[in-house]
Amino acid sequence: MDYKLQPVSGRSQLEMGALNGESVHELGDESPYSPEKETRKLCSPKIEHGSSSGNSQASINVMLRNVYKSIKIVVFSNKLNLLIPFGPIAIIVKKLNGGHAWVFFLSLLGITPLAERLGYATEQLAVYTGPTVGGLLNATFGNATELIISIYALKSGMVRVVQLSLLGSILSNMLLVLGCAFFCGGLVCHKEQRFKKETAVVNSGLLLMAVMGLLFPAVLHYTHTEVHSGQSELALSRFSSCIMLVAYAAYLFFQLKSHRNLYDALNEDGSPIEEGSNDNEIAEISKWESIIWLFIMTTWISILSEYLVHAIEGTSIAWNMPLTFISVILLPIVGNAAEHASAIMFAIKDKLDISLGVAIGSSTQISMFGIPFSVVVGWMMGQRMDLNFQLFETATLFITVLVVAFMLQEGTSNYFKGLMLILCYLIVAASFFVHEDPSQGDDNQPKT
Amino acid sequence: MEGGEEDQQSPIQRSFSSPGNQDELLKITAESGASSGGSRASSIVTLIYVVYKSIRTVVFSNKLNLLLPFGPAAILVQELTDQTAWVFFLSLVGVAPLAERLGFATEQLAFYTGPTVGGLLNATFGNATELIISIFALKSGLIRIVQLSLLGSILSDLLLVLGCAFFCGGLVLRKEQLFNKATAGVNSGLLLVAVMGLLLPTVLHYTHTEVYFGKSELALSRFSSCTMLVTYAVYLYFQLKSQSNLYVSLNEEGIQIEEGVDDEEAPQISKWESVIWLLVITTCVSILSEYLVDTIEGTSIALNIPLSFISVILLPLVGNAVDHASAITFAMKDKLDITLGVSIGSSTQIALFVIPFSVVLGWIMGQAMDLNFQLFETTTLVVSVLVVALMLQEGTSHYFKGLIFLLCYLIVAASFFVHDSSAGGQF
Repeated sequence: MDYKLQPVSGRSQLEMGALNGESVHELGDESPYSPEKETRKLCSPKIEHGSSSGNSQASINVMLRNVYKSIKIVVFSNKLNLLIPFGPIAIIVKKLNGGHAWVFFLSLLGITPLAERLGYATEQLAVYTGPTVGGLLNATFGNATELIISIYALKSGMVRVVQLSLLGSILSNMLLVLGCAFFCGGLVCHKEQRFKKETAVVNSGLLLMAVMGLLFPAVLHYTHTEVHSGQSELALSRFSSCIMLVAYAAYLFFQLKSHRNLYDALNEDGSPIEEGSNDNEIAEISKWESIIWLFIMTTWISILSEYLVHAIEGTSIAWNMPLTFISVILLPIVGNAAEHASAIMFAIKDKLDISLGVAIGSSTQISMFGIPFSVVVGWMMGQRMDLNFQLFETATLFITVLVVAFMLQEGTSNYFKGLMLILCYLIVAASFFVHEDPSQGDDNQPKT
Repeated sequence: MEGGEEDQQSPIQRSFSSPGNQDELLKITAESGASSGGSRASSIVTLIYVVYKSIRTVVFSNKLNLLLPFGPAAILVQELTDQTAWVFFLSLVGVAPLAERLGFATEQLAFYTGPTVGGLLNATFGNATELIISIFALKSGLIRIVQLSLLGSILSDLLLVLGCAFFCGGLVLRKEQLFNKATAGVNSGLLLVAVMGLLLPTVLHYTHTEVYFGKSELALSRFSSCTMLVTYAVYLYFQLKSQSNLYVSLNEEGIQIEEGVDDEEAPQISKWESVIWLLVITTCVSILSEYLVDTIEGTSIALNIPLSFISVILLPLVGNAVDHASAITFAMKDKLDITLGVSIGSSTQIALFVIPFSVVLGWIMGQAMDLNFQLFETTTLVVSVLVVALMLQEGTSHYFKGLIFLLCYLIVAASFFVHDSSAGGQF
């Protein structure tokens, strides 16, 4: 998605930034979601002409027509949006007191297209605001779905669900999305693909810092060596979260301002490729439309998230699956579906830096921004959200980060690396399927 | 990097002290005066003169030595009052200049003994302060403090010193700096060996799977320590004799820079002076360390700070202050290899020499010092070593990497602030 921003600014180095490349369809013919691009481009000049006429009746007509065009572009041009009706269906089912599992499943399906459209609206807005603010927008809204789900879960006091869903999002991005991208890219391109290892190393370092921030409270709690039992990990978590947010801010600064040359994409010879060969320079909707659509999508996602969060425990009982499995594996698979598709797309086109930006950049964003932000939000709400993700989950994250860091350090990829990552994800998923959460019972009880 | 430290130290000394060229002339005059068969009175006068000049070179030529009076002040406070916290802080501040002068004296002596023995001297006395503190703590049976202070020294070298150096170097020079990744790789490997040596007794204890409860970890620790010392010895040999070409610094084009461009070849004090000063300063450091070790628990209670925080964070902060300053100075001069030698080399030295040496010393003294640093501390070390090893393997640095290290150190420091290290805990 942000690959598109480059020709506008010339140097928008957002591929490795915290983005999710949700608007796959922007790339034109190869997109699986082929939109009616040509008709859209023809339509947009008409909007300007229509508003110049003075008659008030005509201007209302024009406004209606603008709205209609906008809806057509945003809502009807994407095949994924066929899933949108599932959202309202979920609400109806809930009102009719249908099973929790159905509500959960339907809301999950309903959120998927909304998440993708949210990314699209963010990217459209970024075209107007320039690369820096655009990068910041991506950095914040890139994982807006996960953030919104976390905020609702926090409000309901379901701290464990927040922890598990964020963890699952990181694991899914690092292993599943990256693995599929490497695998498909390697199979299709039949060669070793290269990417910039400097950025991969920096991202690995940040992920290890996040692991550190998560590991210490967990080990402190587990070895019962904290000074004030029950208070210390919380205080430490809050302090570490502030530090991680500072690190993330510095990372954004580093990415967007000072080291942008590090973030130019490479082709196989290692020389920077010329951007602009197949980029679409024009934004498709106007600036105000982007903002309005951003709000509409966010509101919709919030509504559906509330239903999702309330249905999750009932689903676990109904389907007889551990809550951890649903939170860690199922929830993120749908939340990341669009990123998944775009990462594979870019890998097949031999633009591995962008795939890495989507996958690893998203994990970095969740681990260095999403998780600490949830802790701070919990702090403000008075919820006891801390960084102690319990030993099993933290160990999983630790090993995963190590595996990925070592795989990425070379700067090359092939299908076998991708296969290894995918199989690792299968092992992780299987582990969570048989993992019973020890802190399940005392989630909402006050600690002494 | 200890072999090259003799060269590294002399630019530091130059930044801190003034060249004592006139002292050379005066010395020669004094010696010639003494050898010309003058009367006994004049030889005593020349002796006093020599002593005076020596004191002037060693003691008064360095701004850091303004902190020297804190040492005696600490002793006074201890004798006169009950304020343990004050004694602790005053001794801490008083040790800093002594540690620096110790390094100076070692480096001066190294001039006379040639590079090999000089490298060995640096390798042994490079962390003399930590060694001495550990010996005193062992004598008092404060094993936990030995473990925590050595761990803190490693963490401080790896994260704080290196982070500040990378950060300042990157900000000042505004470019990516290169360093020799082969040496960084070797040091990372050695640190991981040390981590393994620490991790296995800890996990053995923690999983309650040792054969003889309470005895096995000790036996394993002692054996591992001997192995680690052997590793360190081989590493020294590797460094000083056979692979000297690996340790030549790189400049930006990767061409080996000529050493000696701004090295000072002439020593500033004579050989016997160096030896005597070495002994004098070591004695002073020992005295202050005794006060330091005796007051550490009282300070923890008085200030209501966990013992682990004082041992792991505060104690090494001062002990490494000099390393800190020199590492930053060299990073800003784009001599990143020397910086790495100061920081990573020092942590390797503590991990592979001082820690096993303390275990062996405890063995001799009959203290049950082992390598089981408890789970939390060992975890901290493992993650820190991994972060550093991963970031260093590329051979480049910029300010953001330094910032990552610094922020990691803050997280580590915060963790120890809320950590109760009294080796209890249910597992």
